[in-house]
Amino acid sequence: MNDKVVYYHGCFTNYYNPDVGKALFSILKINNIEMIVPEQKCCGMPMMANGNPAGAKKNFDYNARMLAEAAAPGYDILTNCPSCNMMLKREGLPFFDSEDAEFISKRIYDASEYLYKLYLEGRLNTNFHEIPMRIFYHNPCHLRVQNITNEPVALLKLIPGLEVVKVNTNCCGMGGSYGMKMINHERSVEIAKKLWNEVKEANVDAAVTECGGCGLQIAAGTGIRIIHPLVLLNDAYVKGDARKAA
Amino acid sequence: MANIPGLMVVEPSAEQSKHRAAGIFVRKDKRVEGESVKERLKEIREHVKNNNAALIEQLQKTLNTYDGVKTLIAKDAKDAVSQIKQIAGDTTLVSINKSNVVVNELRPGLKDAGFKTYLRYYGEFKNFEEGKFQKKVEDYWSLPGMHGRGLVESFDKRHSITKLASSGTKDYVAIMGVNAISAEDGTVYFLQHMSNITKDLQQAKKIILVVGIEKILKDKEDALLHTKSMGIYGLESILLDLIPHDIENYDFDSLPSLPEENSQELHVIIYDNGRSKLLTNEYNELFLCIDCRACARQCPVGQHIFLKNDMVYSPKNYLLGSLQGWLPPHEVCLHCGRCQVECPVDIDIPTLIWKAQFEHYAEDGRSLKKRMLDDPELLAKLGGMAAPLSNWMVKLYIVKLMTQIFTGVHKDSNLPTFHKETFGDWFKKGGSHE
Repeated sequence: MNDKVVYYHGCFTNYYNPDVGKALFSILKINNIEMIVPEQKCCGMPMMANGNPAGAKKNFDYNARMLAEAAAPGYDILTNCPSCNMMLKREGLPFFDSEDAEFISKRIYDASEYLYKLYLEGRLNTNFHEIPMRIFYHNPCHLRVQNITNEPVALLKLIPGLEVVKVNTNCCGMGGSYGMKMINHERSVEIAKKLWNEVKEANVDAAVTECGGCGLQIAAGTGIRIIHPLVLLNDAYVKGDARKAA
Repeated sequence: MANIPGLMVVEPSAEQSKHRAAGIFVRKDKRVEGESVKERLKEIREHVKNNNAALIEQLQKTLNTYDGVKTLIAKDAKDAVSQIKQIAGDTTLVSINKSNVVVNELRPGLKDAGFKTYLRYYGEFKNFEEGKFQKKVEDYWSLPGMHGRGLVESFDKRHSITKLASSGTKDYVAIMGVNAISAEDGTVYFLQHMSNITKDLQQAKKIILVVGIEKILKDKEDALLHTKSMGIYGLESILLDLIPHDIENYDFDSLPSLPEENSQELHVIIYDNGRSKLLTNEYNELFLCIDCRACARQCPVGQHIFLKNDMVYSPKNYLLGSLQGWLPPHEVCLHCGRCQVECPVDIDIPTLIWKAQFEHYAEDGRSLKKRMLDDPELLAKLGGMAAPLSNWMVKLYIVKLMTQIFTGVHKDSNLPTFHKETFGDWFKKGGSHE
């Protein structure tokens, strides 16, 4: 191994979609990068959204301390959940600022952003197998507002045979658990309709998105398979059949 | 003849200027760099934020030098409505412009006071059918000058009114939120996309200009750039307002002209309504806002709820309304963060919304449902431990219904699938693929 990165997997990957974390582990291994996974808790954004800043601070401080300790030798920190990424990088700072928080904020990357950076530096293994597949890419709000839109698409386009039919940057209306709540559900569905129609009209094999919540929302209205970009990328490395991935 | 400050109406270049504007767009040497406009805007607005009390005082003195203007100070909406009632006398017919200060803050009180208020702006579009404003493609093109961003030159002073009409006035009151006013010489600026502003300034028997205290700028130059910038950065948001909705229309043009002796009256109300209080706390960043509503275009929630009624919606307007106390706390926000993306003066609206919410919950407490959902990790852990049984259970209608009742999670929600083995477990075991 030549390099190391610290990985913040967040709740969705940990509890609901471990394949994403496994895919990143594999991708990093293929690129001779070791993954360090410190102890971690929920990023705290759901607590903020439910009016519990004290609970959010507790988690945020814990994560900042653990991540800062793990990244102390100068390692970068990767996330694959846009909301966790935004929380650690900037959203929590105005309320829960600390030396550790400032330290990690400067080292946080979305995994696709990081891998594309490696590519631009000529350090990404591009020995990809072909994946003949048509996909719809949905860029989640929490990447969009950090201006991380082009990198995930550019990374996906490195996969031979993969056709990115449409890139969508509109909000899906889910907003974490926002769209699941009774008081917001109808509004959330109304927001999602435009996206659902676009997905259906694109006539693709799968919708690709980094956000677990966006994925649930897209699947709810279209029934289409949802794939995380990292899973797709790893499949391109190991020649798995991404069309079966869910 | 009574003298008044200049009333300037800024418009996007209309049909005859489209080619010119297109030329400017292509000729880079003639374009004003977007970033330099933003920097200048921030300077202008910082001055407003840091000198507000002095600017109010200066404006009052300036306006007192015009014998054709009567100036009043209103501390809140109730105060303003009461002043308007006195000015209006027996007249109850009112035309209002589409400004936050009038539509959102004053209109409810005006209605309660017996005024019939109409947004004349919508009346200028062709597509009204039985009280419903219809969205049709041609509506977009009835708004002149959709040329894109950075085109400062495509907005210009199109109308300049320097005296009050002594004839041809009509028996109604125009209540208009000004977009900017110069403290130095009292020149008033409006942004106009159709012709409602000009018409009201020329036709209304009584003109009442409502000046939110954040609209008082140092001088004419600042006020003009502020007003032009509203147009430039807010163009797309103007289109959002054309969502079909119920709206009462009134044909002011068909009102008969009053006899000659009915010359116009001009009143200015300098209006606070909680704004000066904001200057003293962490929300003072809101004073940087130029009310362009670029943030509204990005807001997914606003596009689906607030634009259906007459509210002049933007995330910032909503936040201001909740801080003023006439709107409920910003619970409708889904925290996408998009409102900050296009703000020309970089107001951190998302952080201010978080802050307002925290303060609200600290003061009023949280519901049990909110408490149950604020630790999704705990729920995920429990679900994971019980998987795959938990996955089977959450699909049962009765469980969905109970979840809805106790946690507020809608029964039709698409929930994620719990995994017995977490990523963390897998990694600790050495991270080997099965």
